[in-house]
Amino acid sequence: MFLSNTAIQKDTPTKSNRHYLFLISLVIILLLYISSTVGFGSIWTSSKLQLFKMMFISVIIEAMPFILVGVFVSALLQVFVTDQMIRKFIPKNPILGIIAASVLGIIFPICECGMVPAIRKLIKKGMPLYVATTFILVGPILNPIVFLSTITAFRNQPIVAFSRMGLAFSVALIVGLIVYQFVNSNQLREEVHSSHSEHHHSHDDHSHNTVKNRVIEVMGHSVSEFFDMGKYLVFGSIIVGLLQVFVSQNSLIELGKNGSASNLVMMGLGSILSLCSTSDAFVAQSLQTIFPKSSLVGFMVFGPMINIKGILMMLAVFRSRFVIILSIFVFIFVFIGTLVLQSFL
Amino acid sequence: MIKNIRATSIHHFIKATILLGFSLYILQLTITGDILQFIVPQLVIYVKIAMTFLMIVSVFQYYIAILSLKKTVIICECGHDHDHVFGHDHSHHSDKFTLKTGFIYGLFLLPLLLGFLLPNQSVANALASNRGMNLIGVTSHNQGAKVEVDGNEDPALRKLFTTNVYDKDYAKLGMMLYKQDVIEMKDKWFIEKLQSMNMFVNNFQEKEIKITGFIYRESGLASDQFIIARMGMTHCIADISPFGIVAEAANSNEFPNNAWVTITGKIGKTTYKGQPVIKIEVEKSEQAKAPKVQYVYPDWEFGSKL
Repeated sequence: MFLSNTAIQKDTPTKSNRHYLFLISLVIILLLYISSTVGFGSIWTSSKLQLFKMMFISVIIEAMPFILVGVFVSALLQVFVTDQMIRKFIPKNPILGIIAASVLGIIFPICECGMVPAIRKLIKKGMPLYVATTFILVGPILNPIVFLSTITAFRNQPIVAFSRMGLAFSVALIVGLIVYQFVNSNQLREEVHSSHSEHHHSHDDHSHNTVKNRVIEVMGHSVSEFFDMGKYLVFGSIIVGLLQVFVSQNSLIELGKNGSASNLVMMGLGSILSLCSTSDAFVAQSLQTIFPKSSLVGFMVFGPMINIKGILMMLAVFRSRFVIILSIFVFIFVFIGTLVLQSFL
Repeated sequence: MIKNIRATSIHHFIKATILLGFSLYILQLTITGDILQFIVPQLVIYVKIAMTFLMIVSVFQYYIAILSLKKTVIICECGHDHDHVFGHDHSHHSDKFTLKTGFIYGLFLLPLLLGFLLPNQSVANALASNRGMNLIGVTSHNQGAKVEVDGNEDPALRKLFTTNVYDKDYAKLGMMLYKQDVIEMKDKWFIEKLQSMNMFVNNFQEKEIKITGFIYRESGLASDQFIIARMGMTHCIADISPFGIVAEAANSNEFPNNAWVTITGKIGKTTYKGQPVIKIEVEKSEQAKAPKVQYVYPDWEFGSKL
């Protein structure tokens, strides 16, 4: 155990360094390419760069309050909540647990940028994976703020808001059960699970429980969490910015406006745009003259569950394989859901 | 070993500085008012709270950094989590400056550099052709039982603005606009007014309208047509899209794309993407200055303010 552990540690830095080397060279190639085609002088003043900058920073600033809430909650959990307390709170029955997780969003209405850091800490402290998965999927949708904004956007068709909530709940329930049945519970990115909690216990033995130390500890954890999650947020925002600048919404819409193709197009658009779940209803509403309602529901369910920003945040917590499988399952069930809705709406 | 300690302190200082950078950047945006180029006014208060929090955390982080200079203990005592920035490896590899750490700090520095170095330019117009014009709420006629709005309006007027239960607010707004001599499209309720008029297209025929916005064109418009629009933002720049009116003028080629103009004209009727919408027959136009904040924002509770 010990031996294999050290082996991994020796291995990882070089391996990940290679990844980063690859990324950096990619960036350099891109820069060279751009400079050779348009020249750097014009880049600096180019409207595309300006657009990218505004989009990129806008997404970061918009997410900042939420991610800070998440980071702070996570730090509080780390310092003040023990693993036993978490275990006591979670129902033993898996179905009850999943339903409880779905309802949790109603009490904590934060979008996924805030959710992910808190969830990560909760999993490390013993929250079962299926409960966490359900919460990550359903939390950004099934909460009062999002319900209100959806029903405001679609004020003349409340059925759309209810379909959105219903579909989100059903998909999260099914995916949660699948995760419970078939997925090994250890899907965290790093295997610090055991060593971490051990560390925490020994940590408590130090008994430096003075207020000052606790405050510093919370702040220190907040900072490390912020940088840990933030790098994924920033990277996600870069991709969102690039896509928004270079991929025109109109050209996507041309891919399919009718039937099941439109469901796919809208789901794709939802995950590319990576909008906050409180504002996407207004975008969906603006497209209702072009697209059938079932596809708009697909947009508003799939988008908040699986989007570029969210996937990158999830990669901070889970293994890539798990994130990919999860995305595929969510995709399949949301798609089926929109097909069912097609005959009703 | 000493090398290690130094590296750790440097990491703490870098992180503290990045945090401070973010909070100063947001401070600058709120002082200059440029923050509204990025997010809607309702979100500003949350961003200000975030800025304060960032500043406090950054002060603590500097404190931790200074402590880490003096004594090594703090890192081992409660610092096991502080070093997690680089992927939770508990080994002290993380303290060294590698390509990876450089890349990660670079990620955080990128928005700061772009933010501080490049001017904040409104991108309102740049995205218009990417998105396609918004036609909100025009599909609602054929649903639900028709009702008249209650209140002490003229019964004939109320009959004119019969609608379904859900669109009562738009009917009320429509009646208000109907009674005006010239319907002026200003920042306040730009989107709501537009929606109301497109809902009751026939009621507004031949009415005078005055609107300031930027010009843009889409495929499918006739040669004497263009769109005069404002960019609407519901949350942040990621969701902006144009809200506008088709305008018709014999001298349409004198209206270049992206130019800001004030147009006065008569309301007419046309179809856009298969929906009946209002259009403006241009009577008078003059150049306008682009407003400092070019966006208009939807007001979710406009109904209760009528």
